[in-house]
Amino acid sequence: MIDQTQFRNIDWILIGLLVLNTLVGIAVIYSSSHYLPGNYPLKQLLWMVVSLIALIVFLYLDYNVLVTYSLYFYVICLAILALILVFGRLIAGTKSWIRLEFFQIQPSEITKIALILLLAKLFSDFKARTIPKREGVLSAALVFVPVFLIALQPDLGTALGVLPILLGAFILAGMNKRTLILILIAAVVVGAVGYGFFLKDYQRERITTLVFPEEDPLGSGYHILQSKIAVGSGGLLGKGYLKGSQSQLHFLPARHTDFIFAVVGEELGFIGVVLICVLYFLLLARLFLSVNSSRDRVGVYIIFMVAVMITCQFFINVFMTIGFFPIAGIPLPLLSYGGSSLLTNYLAVSLVLNVKMRRFVNI
Amino acid sequence: MKNNKIYEDLSLIQMRAQVTFAIVVGVFVFLLLSFWKIQILDYQKFWKKSEANRIRQIALPPQRGLITDRNGKILVKNIASFKASIIRENCKDYDEAYERVARLLNLQPDVVKERVDKYKSAPLFQPIVVMDDLTHEEVARIEARKHELPELIIQLEPKRNYPFGAFASHVFGYLQEISPAEMEMEQYQNRRLGDLVGKTGVEKQYEHLLVGTEGQSLQIVDSMGREIEEISRTDAIRGQDIMLALDFDLQKKAEEILENREGAVVVMKPKTGEILAMASFPNFDPNKFINRFSPEEWIDLMNSPEFPLENRTIRGLYSPGSIFKPTMALAGLDLNVVNNHTMFNCRGGLIVYGQPRACWRSEGHGPVNITSAIEHSCNIYFYELGKRIHIDDISRYARMLGFGYKTHVDIPGEKVGLVPDPEWKRRVRNEPWYPGETISVAIGQGPLLVTPLQVAVHTALIANKGRKVTPRLLKADSGIPMSLPEENGKENRPRLSIPTSAFETVIQGMWRAVNVKGTARAAKVSQFDVCGKTGSAQVVSSEAAKKLAQQKREIKTHSWFTGFAPRDNPEIVVTLIVEYGGGGGATAAPSAGELFDLYRKKYD
Repeated sequence: MIDQTQFRNIDWILIGLLVLNTLVGIAVIYSSSHYLPGNYPLKQLLWMVVSLIALIVFLYLDYNVLVTYSLYFYVICLAILALILVFGRLIAGTKSWIRLEFFQIQPSEITKIALILLLAKLFSDFKARTIPKREGVLSAALVFVPVFLIALQPDLGTALGVLPILLGAFILAGMNKRTLILILIAAVVVGAVGYGFFLKDYQRERITTLVFPEEDPLGSGYHILQSKIAVGSGGLLGKGYLKGSQSQLHFLPARHTDFIFAVVGEELGFIGVVLICVLYFLLLARLFLSVNSSRDRVGVYIIFMVAVMITCQFFINVFMTIGFFPIAGIPLPLLSYGGSSLLTNYLAVSLVLNVKMRRFVNI
Repeated sequence: MKNNKIYEDLSLIQMRAQVTFAIVVGVFVFLLLSFWKIQILDYQKFWKKSEANRIRQIALPPQRGLITDRNGKILVKNIASFKASIIRENCKDYDEAYERVARLLNLQPDVVKERVDKYKSAPLFQPIVVMDDLTHEEVARIEARKHELPELIIQLEPKRNYPFGAFASHVFGYLQEISPAEMEMEQYQNRRLGDLVGKTGVEKQYEHLLVGTEGQSLQIVDSMGREIEEISRTDAIRGQDIMLALDFDLQKKAEEILENREGAVVVMKPKTGEILAMASFPNFDPNKFINRFSPEEWIDLMNSPEFPLENRTIRGLYSPGSIFKPTMALAGLDLNVVNNHTMFNCRGGLIVYGQPRACWRSEGHGPVNITSAIEHSCNIYFYELGKRIHIDDISRYARMLGFGYKTHVDIPGEKVGLVPDPEWKRRVRNEPWYPGETISVAIGQGPLLVTPLQVAVHTALIANKGRKVTPRLLKADSGIPMSLPEENGKENRPRLSIPTSAFETVIQGMWRAVNVKGTARAAKVSQFDVCGKTGSAQVVSSEAAKKLAQQKREIKTHSWFTGFAPRDNPEIVVTLIVEYGGGGGATAAPSAGELFDLYRKKYD
C-alpha cells in the first residue's frame, strides 16, 4: 500500500528526532533508576522498538481511512475505559492498566489517538472563520466523556493530558471573543468546583503548595522543593551524569517518570537543559511546520493537534519540575519512563508522517 | 468533489498554526530564562540546600551516667538494646511497608501506622522507632531480610537498667519517652522526639548531669539512605556518674522491713542530712517503664489503689500521733509553761472543755514529769500542755521544728503537709477554731499532717540539739552541687530559739523510752545508745472508729517510730511508718531496732 514515492516522502528527519529524544530519555532513565530493581532503561528500549514498529505499521493505513473509521475507534476506547472502571486491576492506586503478556498498557493514553482522528473528521468539512456553537459543544462533549472516565480511574494527569487536543482543534477552528471568554469562564468554574468537590486531598495540597512550597517543606511541598533544589543545584555544568546527589540519594521523588527533567537539570546543568530543550524544540518545530505539508484540511488538523498535545505535555511537565505548575502526574513525552505514553506519542507522530508522505497523492 | 480538496484554501488554518508556533517559541524562551534564574542566578542557594540533603547528620545517643551508692556499688547502669525503626523515605508504599514490618515484628499493622503517624511532622529520612528492646531472634530475623526491607533499620542504643529491680525505685524514679509538652520546655531544648527522660526521682532531678552530651556523625548516604562513608564523628559523652548517699545494705534492710506492708522508711545522717535509705512500699520496677510501648502497665500502676508510684517518704501525708509530743514538750519548755519538775497526775482519763479524754493506758501513769511523759508517751501530760499553750504557739513551734515546710530534699514532688492554726481553719473550712481541737493537736491528732521525711528531719534537729539540716540524696562530698527541685522556693521559716537544755530534756525522755521501760524499748540495741519515740496515729475519726467497732472490725492505727543513735554525737536517724501497723511500740520500734543494729555493725 506504500508506493515508492510515498516511501521517499517519509520524513526521516522527524523519525530521527523522535528516536534521538527517546534515546536521550533512556540515558536519563538509566541515571535515575540504575539502583532500582526492574531494569527500566532496557524496558524503555524495548518499548521504543515496539513503538517504532507500530509507527511503521501504522503508516500503511491511509490517514483518510483511519479518519473514516474514527468513530468506531472512539466508541471502542470508551467501552474499554468503562470496562476497566468496573473490572480493572488496581495498579498504583488507579484502574488505568490492562495487563498484556509482557507489558502493561494504559488504554487512556491510546484514547488520545482516537480523539485526534475523530476531531479531525468533525472539523474537516468545516470552513467558517470561527467555530459555531453546535460544533463547539459537540466537540467539547466528545472530549469530556473520556476525560471524565479517565478522571474517575482516578488518573487526573492523563485526563488533563487529553485536553490540549481540544485546545488545538479550537485554535485552528477559530474562536471569537465570546467563545474564548466562555471557555475561560468554564475553565475557572470547572477548576473551582473540581478543587472543592472532586480533587482528592493530596491533589488539593499539590495546588496549594505550588503557591507556598516553603510552608510545609516535608509535606506535599516536599516534591516541588526537592525538585527545585535538584535543578538549582545543577548550576551551569551540572553535577555530572550519574552524580546528582538529589536524584541518586532518593531525595527526589518519581525520578524516572514525572520528575525526569529535574535529573537532567541536576546532573547535566543549564547546558544540558538548553541542549535537551533545543533537541526537543527541533522536534516540535518540525511537527508545527509540517502543517504546510498537508494536502487537505484533515491533515492540517491532525498534525496541529498532535503538535499541541505533545507541546502542552512538555511544558506542563517541565514547568512542574521548577514549581511553576502543580504536580499533575503528567509525564515528559518521549523522555519519561512509561510504555503507553511512548507508544501513544509514536503513534501520534506516525499520523503526522502519514499525512506528510501522502501529500502528493491524487485520490 | 474529492479532487477539489487538494486545491482548497488552507491558508487561514495554516496561519493560525504558525501563530501558535510563534507562541510556543516564546514559551520556550521563557522556559530557558526560568532555568537560567534557578540554575545560574540562584545556584548558590540551591547548592547549599542540596549539600545539606546529601550529608546526613546522625545523632549518637549518649549513655546516661551511672548511679552508685555511697560505697560505689553500682545501682543503676546501662545495657545495650536493639530498636527497630522505619525510615519512611525508603518505603515504596506506606501501607504495604507497615504490613510487612508488622508481620516481621509480630505487631498489628495499625500499631505501626499509629506510631508513624505520631511523628508525621518529622523529616522523611528520620527513623521512627516502631519497636524497642528486640530479642536476639528478632534482630536475626530482621537482619536476614535486610535487603528486602530497606525501610526498616536496626539501631543499637544504650538502655537504662536497674539491676536490682524495684530496689530504691522511688529514689531513682523512672524514665519515659519525652512528652510533646516537655519538648517545649527550655531545659529539654536539645532533646529529640523519642528520647527517654527522667520523670521522677533522682533520674529527673539530676537529668542535666546524667544525660550526657549527644555525639554526632556526619555521613554521606547512598541511594537507600544507608551510610556509605563517615565524614566526621564526635563521640557521645557519657553522662556524669552520680554517687548517692544511699547505703545499699541499709536500703535493702529497709525494704525487707516494709515487704508487703504499706509504709515508708527514712534513714538519715543527722549531721549532713545524707539519706542512707529511703524506702516506700508498694514499689515498682522501673525497668518496665523504659520500654516505649507498654503504657498500659504504667497506667495500671498509676491507677492502682495502693499508689505504688507514690514515694510515701515525701508524698505520704500522715497524722504524726505521739511523735508530735517532743514538739509539744519543746514548746512548753521554751515558753516556760512547764519545767523539768512540773508534774501532772495521770489517772487514765481527763475531762477537757467538757469532753472526756483518755490516756492510752487506762489505769493511768500516776504522777508524770516531762521526761517520763515522753518515755511513756502519756497523753494526760500533753493534754495539760495543750490547755496551757495557744494553738498559734503550737503551730509556730511545729513549723520551727520542721513541719509544714518542704524539707528541700533533692528529688521532686515533695509535699508540704499541714500545720493547722485558726487562720488556716477560717480560710479553708470557714469555721472558727475550737479549743478542743488544740487538745487533739497536742497529742499529734487533729488536722495535723506530716511526711515521714519531715519527721526524720525533725528528729535530726532534736538529735543535733537545734541545728537544722537539709536532707540530701546526693552524697555530701561527691563534688557535685546539689540540685533542688524547681518547685521548692526558699521560704522564711521561723528561726530556732530553743535552748539546748530543752533538747537535752526531750532527748532524755526519748532515751528512756528505748532504754528503760518506755514505749520504744523494742528498738533497743546493745552497745548503741538509741533514743526514740513511737506513735500510733489514729487513721479514722472517733465516730468512724465506733462504727467499725460495732461491726467488730479491727481498728488499726498507723505505726510510727522515729529516733536516733547514739545519744551523744548522733550518727543515724531512723524514721519508720507502717500503715495500719497497730501500736508504734509493737510494730515500728523493733524494725527500727534492726536498722540501728545493722548500721552499728557495719560502721562502728
